[in-house]
Amino acid sequence: MTFERSRRLPTLVFALALGAATAWAGTSPRFPAPAQIAFHRSQQTLRAGLAQDHLQARRASLGLGSLEGFRTAAVSTNALGEAIVRLDHTFDGHRVLGSQAVARVPLGGAVEASTDAVLKGVALSGQPLLTPATATAIALRHLAPRGPMEATPRVEQVVFPASFLGGPATVTDPVTGKASLDRHRTVHARMASPYVWAFEVRTRLANKVDGRKELTYHIDARTGAILRVVDEVRHQAVPATATGRGQYSGTVEIPSARMADGTYALYDPTRGTQPNPTLQSFTPDESGWSATGLQTWYEQNDAQGNNTWMSYLFQGNATNAWGDGLPFTAYGDEGGPNGQTMGVDAMHGMAWTWDFFQNVLGRAGMDGKGTSVFAQVGCTGTYSRENAAWSNWDQGMALGTGTPGGPGAFTDFDVIAHEMTHGVTGSTVGFLNTAGFEEAGLDEGTSDFFAQMAKAYAAAGDPYASTLPASGADWTIGAGVFNGTPLRWMNKPSLDLRSPDAWYHGIHYLDGHYSSGVLNRALYYLANGAPADASHPAYSPFLPQGMTGIGYEKTARIWYMAVSEILVSGGSGQLTFLHAREAARRAALYLYGEGSTGWGWDSPASRAVENAFGAVNVGLNYGEAPRTQVRFADFRNADWIERHHADSALGGSRQYFPMGERVRPMAQVLNNANTAVTWTVGGRSLFNGAEQMVHKGGVINADGTWTTPTDLGWFALTATSVADPRQSAEGRAFIVNLDADSDLEQDAVDMGALSYSWYLTNALNPAHSVFNAPWVDDGDVATFTDAVLATWWVR
Amino acid sequence: MRMTLKPFGFAAALALAGLVACTSGTDSAPPPAPVPAAMTLAYTNPASSGWRLVKDASSTPTRVVLNLVGPSGTRTRGVGFNLKAPAGARFGTFTGGLPIQDAGVYQLHAFGSTDPNEPVALAGGLKAGNLLSVGIYQKDRDQPAQDSGVALCRIAVTLDTAAGIPAGTALPLSVLKAKVIPEDIGAFTDDLWTLDRKMRMADITIATGTLTAQ
Repeated sequence: MTFERSRRLPTLVFALALGAATAWAGTSPRFPAPAQIAFHRSQQTLRAGLAQDHLQARRASLGLGSLEGFRTAAVSTNALGEAIVRLDHTFDGHRVLGSQAVARVPLGGAVEASTDAVLKGVALSGQPLLTPATATAIALRHLAPRGPMEATPRVEQVVFPASFLGGPATVTDPVTGKASLDRHRTVHARMASPYVWAFEVRTRLANKVDGRKELTYHIDARTGAILRVVDEVRHQAVPATATGRGQYSGTVEIPSARMADGTYALYDPTRGTQPNPTLQSFTPDESGWSATGLQTWYEQNDAQGNNTWMSYLFQGNATNAWGDGLPFTAYGDEGGPNGQTMGVDAMHGMAWTWDFFQNVLGRAGMDGKGTSVFAQVGCTGTYSRENAAWSNWDQGMALGTGTPGGPGAFTDFDVIAHEMTHGVTGSTVGFLNTAGFEEAGLDEGTSDFFAQMAKAYAAAGDPYASTLPASGADWTIGAGVFNGTPLRWMNKPSLDLRSPDAWYHGIHYLDGHYSSGVLNRALYYLANGAPADASHPAYSPFLPQGMTGIGYEKTARIWYMAVSEILVSGGSGQLTFLHAREAARRAALYLYGEGSTGWGWDSPASRAVENAFGAVNVGLNYGEAPRTQVRFADFRNADWIERHHADSALGGSRQYFPMGERVRPMAQVLNNANTAVTWTVGGRSLFNGAEQMVHKGGVINADGTWTTPTDLGWFALTATSVADPRQSAEGRAFIVNLDADSDLEQDAVDMGALSYSWYLTNALNPAHSVFNAPWVDDGDVATFTDAVLATWWVR
Repeated sequence: MRMTLKPFGFAAALALAGLVACTSGTDSAPPPAPVPAAMTLAYTNPASSGWRLVKDASSTPTRVVLNLVGPSGTRTRGVGFNLKAPAGARFGTFTGGLPIQDAGVYQLHAFGSTDPNEPVALAGGLKAGNLLSVGIYQKDRDQPAQDSGVALCRIAVTLDTAAGIPAGTALPLSVLKAKVIPEDIGAFTDDLWTLDRKMRMADITIATGTLTAQ
């Protein structure tokens, strides 16, 4: 996100008007009382004007021309008392379709504006050749009403970007649920340029002959072509409360809707005001369905549990009673009572998680814009059957059926809340979730943590509460799905035999679902405290004295601020656990910064953050002297190959060695005079099925050298400090074959053959690459010299 | 009678035994004077005009720097060799810890490259058995082959004084493998058979001089 801050208005004006502003100095000073919110709302118009002035002044820096500007489209006030102003981008006074800025204006008037969605390079030639009346006639000819219009069409001249051009549209049969091409709304127009003048024609039709329709047309203002047709009908279904029997949630009340035909659907029109991007491809019909609201769909399988690639909304229920509360076994009848059970659990989890984020953290849906979310239960297939996944593209979840006799359906509360939190981080910090990067663990850990908070919120039972209870989380993930045995333990992650309890150098090689243990345990400590009893499962040897937690409420707000306002990844992979610690500390000082030295320098909350992260070996405990650290030395130290070779995607801590040779891997020990380490082949990241056998090899000799394996590829090595065995590092050793001239000797002469291939690179090269790649490049040259130096060094 | 030999008494007994031996009438030469351990190195260039290791002017009494020189007029794109030395001789290093130094003849960077950190094909290491393995190569076909009749690269040899090598001991250097990249490396327009034939490094023989510990 791109935020820029404008000047501040004199705070005095607002402080006087607010009167009781100083009463904020409580435990949550940033969240105004309801009466104060009313004051903030009264300032909305003023603040919207500030936002508009701010953006107008920034036009040049945004790359906008003199004909372009901004115009307030909507303004509201959030839970923090800040005005949220949406501003339309205009060209020559006309709205540019889909191009908006969103500004946040708090008390004091310092504007922060997000301009990511402002389209750049808008250019138009000529003026409209059609009149508004002609455009309306074209729209009405397409609409073809048989009865009278309910209202006169509304027409507005706009700038239409090519990216919004319509295409194939689908319609869903209300009886079978099957989708087919909607020829009436399908558009095959072409545009003369990336931006054209268009008329937006909004029509509203409601009579006995035509039924109810609200179609919006965009008509090319020079050619008369229909560029796009959108159905604007929203929420005709009536919110209702259903009784559900879930496998995990038990008998619960869940949101549903009474459809036009009087039956009910697992469809909650009250949560999510913006259409879901995937559901939007379906055409609303006369059933009352639309693409907004929380929705629970199911995957249709055959009787053997094979996917048919058809999905349906849970609907057509005459009694609004859903599910049988039993584990799912009814393949082929996912829409029946047994399949509905998965839908009940999913809807239960979705609604509570939505409310937690909205009511406690002030977030409108996962993406913060109120975009609707759906769950698709009953998923099968190799990947989906025993898994759950969130898609930012879809703003929805795919939830597996589980396997009879094995894991249950992946619809337990913490699974749902975990996945939905991915939607929050996906639209804020944007973690890269790939093994090889520490932030994969931050991503998964954040989802685990907010799943606990949502779980506690639901356990308290008040869907309107704006605060969290003091207890109610069990700090485990997936226990329901796996028949009582959690998938992850947040207070002692290593109980799963894969996750680490603390950070070590090289943790980025772990899958994020395991490296998440570090963040999970830190946030557990921050909320609950850490025991000083060494026999306690949650005991940390890095914090033997233990600590007192600051509770759910503060921990949730601190970490939410960290991921939504401080940390920035954008999918880059640049964030580490150390960044997470610093972000949490900053958030703690911002939200709960009252300390003996004043506000924002050092506070009990910020000390708790330091200790909680120090307890998982991320930074130091408050006031602690530097710790011993072990690092798997990188010969390259971010030199050419780190910057250029594709293999660098895995990040540092790698060493290259020739196959079948006696080599000396290198590790650095910091902050300790005793730099000795013990070496072992293998590492935590190998505890992943068959990989353990592949990537663990060779022999560590008595003198600490390593006789490398004769298999090519990467292997793992672990160095542990002799002085402080708590500290270790895992690194990758890439085993390469230097014998490029195939004379069964690995020596510097082989580099000649390598160079030979380099001469012919990308053409007729016979692949002498040490990477076993079909080409030779500078990566091979750098690797070759590194491997020779590391192996046959001259003493 | 029991005798107790003290150190002094033991020496006296040995002297007596020698005296008795002398009386037998047999003469014996005095033991050779011990040869002092070598402290420096000397190197005599080979007579060859082909590929050879020639002493560089930067050599010192304790460190012999050897230039690899090729036959004049022969154009090449790179060379590598394995050189074995006996115990008592140690291979030295140059800047950066490499046991080989570029003499500046070969164009190591890609044609037109401006990246100072670009990897270059200059490698060397010491394998088991005191075997030095070094190589220096051009890697861009757009760079022309170079006349090899000049110093192409350097290596260094020092004396392992801890080994106690007697002065005057010859320390023979032997080249076990040596190859060059010739001027003709084929062209993209060549057929595959021709290319396959040309995509071979050529064996060469490198003459070494006489290395002596002094």
